[in-house]
Amino acid sequence: MTTNTAISTDADVASDVAFRPNRVPLGSPAYNQIAEFLYEEAWLLDEIRLADWVARLDTDLRYTCPVRQTRPLHQHAASIVRTVMHFDETYASIRGRVGRITDTRSAWAEDPPSRTRRLITNILVESTDNPDEFEVQSYLLCSRSRFEETNLLFLSCVRHDLLRRHGASFKLARREIIVDQTVLGFPNLAIFL
Amino acid sequence: MLDRTRTTLSDGTTIDDLINVQTREVQLRTISDPELYDIEMRKVFGKTWLLLGHESEIPNSGDFITRLMGSDPVLITRQKDDSIKVMLNVCPHRGMRVCTSDAGNAKVHTCIYHGWAFKNDGDFIGAPVAGEQMHGAILPKEKLGLTQARTHLYGGLIFATWNFEGPSFDEFLGEMKWYYDMLFQRTDKGLEVLGPPQRFTIKANWKTACEQSAADGFHTLTLHRWLGEFAKFGDGDLTTSMYGTEVGSLQGHALRCMPVANKFKQAAGFRDGNLTLEEKLAIVPPPGITKEMLPELIRNLTPEQLGLLVDSPPQVGGMFPNVLIAFIYVPQPDGEIIGLTSLHTYIPKGPDELEFCNYILAEKDAPEEHKQKALQFAVRMLGTSGMVEQDDSDTWPHITQTAKGAAARNVTMKYQAVCTTPPRPDWPGPALVYEGFTKDDTQWNWWLAYRNLMNAAL
Repeated sequence: MTTNTAISTDADVASDVAFRPNRVPLGSPAYNQIAEFLYEEAWLLDEIRLADWVARLDTDLRYTCPVRQTRPLHQHAASIVRTVMHFDETYASIRGRVGRITDTRSAWAEDPPSRTRRLITNILVESTDNPDEFEVQSYLLCSRSRFEETNLLFLSCVRHDLLRRHGASFKLARREIIVDQTVLGFPNLAIFL
Repeated sequence: MLDRTRTTLSDGTTIDDLINVQTREVQLRTISDPELYDIEMRKVFGKTWLLLGHESEIPNSGDFITRLMGSDPVLITRQKDDSIKVMLNVCPHRGMRVCTSDAGNAKVHTCIYHGWAFKNDGDFIGAPVAGEQMHGAILPKEKLGLTQARTHLYGGLIFATWNFEGPSFDEFLGEMKWYYDMLFQRTDKGLEVLGPPQRFTIKANWKTACEQSAADGFHTLTLHRWLGEFAKFGDGDLTTSMYGTEVGSLQGHALRCMPVANKFKQAAGFRDGNLTLEEKLAIVPPPGITKEMLPELIRNLTPEQLGLLVDSPPQVGGMFPNVLIAFIYVPQPDGEIIGLTSLHTYIPKGPDELEFCNYILAEKDAPEEHKQKALQFAVRMLGTSGMVEQDDSDTWPHITQTAKGAAARNVTMKYQAVCTTPPRPDWPGPALVYEGFTKDDTQWNWWLAYRNLMNAAL
């Protein structure tokens, strides 16, 4: 049987350069370093090592989380709202948020802290005009447990990051968090994504 | 007598058993009882005026947004004649949600289920295969439109109610309108939203958030202690800014007017009475205002309102039943004071859940830079990730759960901090006025308003 929708061979996908002109291949040294950076970052946040996390942020950081809306397919772009957002942060404002948690005994929203698990998958890396900067896309499924609540709360999103080489590692220079919910199931975003 | 029967729960408990007017106590059971919830949907959310958004969300003819009015989905549309209509977003054919988008522009809204089509004013146009008349001949087309709500615009805010016989919107605001006008009717062009609302879910009963919105001052000192401890508001002491004047009404509306001189050192001169309005606006303007807006303020407010707005602006409070109002200052380490404006609606989603809907607004006439700053700081302080309100949202679920305990349900919430200071003789405004350190009176009034509606006939 012949069909026009034959399953692509690996060779077809690999030659699909228009789809991914600057892709840094899975398994390449740069890809591995970036994946490790994101895994470590998730671990630092889950372990609430917030000062260590801040040390991995660059000082020109933009950290945003647009609001989502339900729109018809042909208006899909409008489903991402970048006016009012859930996070609209700079390096200084993130430091303020972290300081509220680490330097007080009254940041009740996360004291006692949530038990979180940030599962990072689907990492795709693109090189940029700047050899030290990479556009990185990753999926995040964040589970959150507070007090004796047995049902985990979940938040799923894709993160569009700009990572910048700093010595042997990277710093996060930009992150846009595209959440999947129009009405978030979390009672707040007192944790970082 | 029949009315009273209707507000008796199945175990014989009455609303008056739950809310003790003599001792100013509310049984904790009241918070999340499912039987009460059903009554609330009809007697509170089915009867009062409800905030649904702002007209700046739908500036052009055909624009629409969908919202929740209590537990009812509604479609809000801008008409050709520029007016705004609010209608039930439920198909009169088989109950499908007609419009499934959060926002957009459409002349016609067609139900995807069987294809019944409606003009954006709700009128029934027809069903597919006109000759076969899916809608039959028993009811005329005029009876097959979307159910209309009674709608009112106030300072661009969209309010609606299902109660056509009830009080007008102005009657609903009552004497508190004088104060609300200082916030919503003070400039020529009024407020605008800076984007669609943030929305998120809290596993808490709507009343936990709403009774707090009736100007609960005390919680600031402990739940929001970080504001003093870390952000160094009031040079680390939040108590001084708790001295002011709470105003409210038996309709459950409330605002806290907080003297600027108590909050900021640079405004100490406000007390002397020697500064002009221009000078005061140049030092610390009311949240959301810039000094250039003074001529507008003079045009739109009485001298008494303007004087109060400048010296002791209403900064936090609520509008019964489910609105929080925040016109607040965010002082910066470098001395700059950013003013921001936000409104929340707490939408009931069952006895144990609410949707927090956060609108961030600014004066239309404010400079773009001011709007962007206000927006950023509103996101950082309020709503989803707001450093102030994330603590609130972690508190209300506990109360919702404790209210279910066999013992705890009989614990009472106490509103016994009663203001005993008489109003200042020169207080310029109407309504119930509570002078001095924050007290429980405005929150108690919220419960009286709730009790009143819950005891009323359907």
